[in-house]
Amino acid sequence: MKFKIYRYNPETDTKPFVQQYELEGVEPGTMLLAALLRIKDEQDESLSFRRSCGEGVCGSDGMNINGVNGLACITSLDTLKQPVEIKPLPGLPVIRDLIIDMDQFYKQYRAVKPYLIVNDPMPEVELAQTPEQREKLDGLYECVLCACCSTSCPSFWWNPEKFLGPAALLQASRFIEDSRDQAFEERLADLEGPFKLFRCHTIMNCVNVCPKGLNPTKAIGRIKSKMVTRSL
Amino acid sequence: MSLYVLEGLRPWVIQRVSAIYIVLFIVYATYCFFSADVIAYEPWKNWLYNPFNTTVVGIFVIALLFHAWIGMRDVILDYVHNIMLRIFILAMLMGALIGSGLWIFRILLLSVVN
Repeated sequence: MKFKIYRYNPETDTKPFVQQYELEGVEPGTMLLAALLRIKDEQDESLSFRRSCGEGVCGSDGMNINGVNGLACITSLDTLKQPVEIKPLPGLPVIRDLIIDMDQFYKQYRAVKPYLIVNDPMPEVELAQTPEQREKLDGLYECVLCACCSTSCPSFWWNPEKFLGPAALLQASRFIEDSRDQAFEERLADLEGPFKLFRCHTIMNCVNVCPKGLNPTKAIGRIKSKMVTRSL
Repeated sequence: MSLYVLEGLRPWVIQRVSAIYIVLFIVYATYCFFSADVIAYEPWKNWLYNPFNTTVVGIFVIALLFHAWIGMRDVILDYVHNIMLRIFILAMLMGALIGSGLWIFRILLLSVVN
């Protein structure tokens, strides 16, 4: 099986290049991450990429696979056309090979205050929710912050400092929808302006690539309709 | 600097509302166009002289100008990152749209008055 992998080590290379690898005896059902680990073990230990859990839970091994962002650990080689072209997630600076600098992504994540804000004194028991209130968080809380969505979004490529990006906006929606949160007004007010939320033009690249099957575009739509209701 | 440059929600709502109005107007105008006996200046002038038509055409022009402004503004905010250049292009666009608007109203007013 043939692979074309983006390589760049800023300490030794003047510019990025593509390196070819070939693996023999790849069993059906093998995941891309397993193949990358084999290349690293058997052929080239300098090949660098992030990975951790290996089963789509930690979100470390997001990369651009044959032009589509995804997690290497849950992408089966059976589904990929050869040669498999692997590049780092687009739109963020490359640290080395497939490892990108995610500072900007986390900065936008922090900007939406991804935690419950409760101004009342904390109750002695848990902040309870009805099953209906809890249901509203389904499809929002499952995000693993792999950055596949934000780095597939042209609006995030053009304005990464100003546009929050689908991942952060999904998190914003997760706390706006939460019945226990008491910063509803502030959260919506914070998203006003032409850049933070409204650079989203609903092209749904984020929905196409989310390895957890989430729908950031829908979450952004929910925020917009809440803003409209609030302004009336 | 309001000018809908530094806002988010209001232009977004105006863009959608104007889009719906423009579609409805096009349907109505197409119907009128094809159901007319003669396509000529005089019948068109009479059509426009009808107060209802004057109103819907006037609103259409305003909706179209706002829609164009917001759409172009979005493209410029996406792609033009130099602030001075952005302000310059937005100002040119604003001038062109206001100019076109006044021109259209001049044509429409003259056709109704004469």
